[in-house]
Formats: sequence, C-alpha cells, structure tokens
Amino acid sequence: MYKLTRLVTFADATHGDAVAEGLRALAVGHGAYRALVAPTLPGSHNGGDLIAHVQFDTEPARDAFEAATARLLAGPATASVESVAYIGAPDLDLMNGVYRVLLLSVDKGADPAAVARFEAETRMMPHYIAAIRNWQLSRTDAASGSRAWTHVWEQEYADAAGLLGPYMLHPYHWAHVDRWFDPECPDRIVDARLCHSFCTIDALA
Amino acid sequence: MTREAMIQVIDEIVARPGAAKALLDDYLARYAPGARDRGMVLEQILVSPPMWLDDQSNTLTIRWSLRDTAAWWRMRAVGGNDPDVAAWWAEVDARAVSRRRSFAAEPADIGALCDV
Repeated sequence: MYKLTRLVTFADATHGDAVAEGLRALAVGHGAYRALVAPTLPGSHNGGDLIAHVQFDTEPARDAFEAATARLLAGPATASVESVAYIGAPDLDLMNGVYRVLLLSVDKGADPAAVARFEAETRMMPHYIAAIRNWQLSRTDAASGSRAWTHVWEQEYADAAGLLGPYMLHPYHWAHVDRWFDPECPDRIVDARLCHSFCTIDALA
Repeated sequence: MTREAMIQVIDEIVARPGAAKALLDDYLARYAPGARDRGMVLEQILVSPPMWLDDQSNTLTIRWSLRDTAAWWRMRAVGGNDPDVAAWWAEVDARAVSRRRSFAAEPADIGALCDV
C-alpha cells in the first residue's frame, strides 16, 4: 500500500466539515483502497484538527491524490498541514476503534546503528503492551510541515483508554523506548517536536 | 503493597580525567535545584573509586526517586521541554567521557508498574 497521512490544522474551524468532505471525495475519486478522514480527539498534541489517512494500491494514485489535496488545503481555511507519504501493509482497521499516529524526526546525523535499535525497540512495543491491536512503524518517502518527518508510528486501539492508559503507562514505553526521545538521556536521537494525533475509526470510505 | 517512591532515576557519569569533583559540584548547584522542582528526590550520590583522581576518570552515580509513573511523566514533560536542561546536559557531555541515564525499580514494584 502507498499511504499518505495528513494532519490538518484549520484557521477557521467552521470549514472543517467541508474540508473533510472534500478530502473524502478526493480519496474516492482517486481510487483509494481505504480512507480515514476524521476529527482529532482531545489529548492530541501538535496533532491538528483533522486526520486524513489514505491508502492506495499504486504510487501514482497516491501522488495524484496528494497533489489534489494540496490544492484543496491551500485555501484560507487551513492554517497548517503536516504530511507524510510512506509504504506499508494495508491497515487492519478496528471498527469503532481508535487510530493513533506519531510523526517524528530523527536527527540527520544520528548513528544508523542507533536508528536501527530505536526502530527495533519501537516495533517490540506491541509485544509488551497488549492494548496495541495493530501497528506499523514506517520510514517516510516524503514529508512536509513543521519538520522533515523521518518516521511514522501508527497504532490502533480498541478505544482511547488503551492509548492513554497502557500505552503511556507501561514501563517498556517510558523507562525504555522513551530514552530515544528524552533530551535528558544521552541516547536521544529524535527531535523534541512531535505530532501525536488520534481519532476514532468510524469514518472509513 | 507499593513503596512511597517506586521509580529510581540513575545518572551514571564518567567524568573526564581530573574533572569529577568540579562536575559533581556543578551538578548539585546547577542541575539539582531544577530537578527537585520537577519532583525528583535526591537519594544517593556515589563516587568511584572513592577518591578524587586527578589524572584518570571518576564515575559519578547519582540516584533520584519518583513516586510513580505519573510523577515520571510530570518530570519528563517539564524537563524535556526546558532548553536550559538540554543545554546543561550538552555541557555535561562535553565534560564527560560517557554518560548514561536509566530508570529502575525494586523487583517487588515491577508488578504494580506493569499493571496498566
């Protein structure tokens, strides 16, 4: 699957529904395999007002959709857009679940061996944290927004409590993996600016 | 039954030769007050070997405690977004041969910490 995830922050929230409808229509029009377009839930951080997470069978279809959405989002209703394009397996969406995405940027000069360890340890989070139902850690093919995002860390949960409870509170997260993010730890390789965003999975096209 | 402070924060700093005493003095004067403001409780300082070496490295081990996971995230949220804290650690790294920060708990507290 060729995926595109965009976090949209509105300058004027009254346009949110219209933009969401426009994104859904563009996804259908460009033959998306699946599209999740939904408002972010409270607790998101730098996560925008709207998540658009769309999957395509081919790269040209994704690129055409990306160009079309760029035109849609260029209007005055949009304050900012964080965007990542990447490759991954089809989502195994939970009906009535929660989709969460973290955009992160690894330092350009980071030791490749350290990056590999960070990725390997992150991919083991579902092994220790059972609330993570489906997940994918991807390197980006292209990114734009407030940082040159290098990675996309996506998960699905049965509900928001799984994200805000077990995911955040399990020691594998805060006492082990977080050191790659923590400016107080010498292992840190991830920029402090993160986009943590989540929404309900009930708006599938 | 859980202890008052379940989480230990351990800084292990191998100072540059002859620099450990000054580094520890600065740690206590410049880093420790802010750490206490972030909820950390200073529990122990160890110097190895137990003398100040002037031509070799001493290892400083400084152990703090935090009450629970919520206290850990409060510490992390404040310290992780404070540019002065980041600047402090950049200075330490320039004055150290190596450094490690780890988070630990007593075996008896692992069950409670993982019961999320």
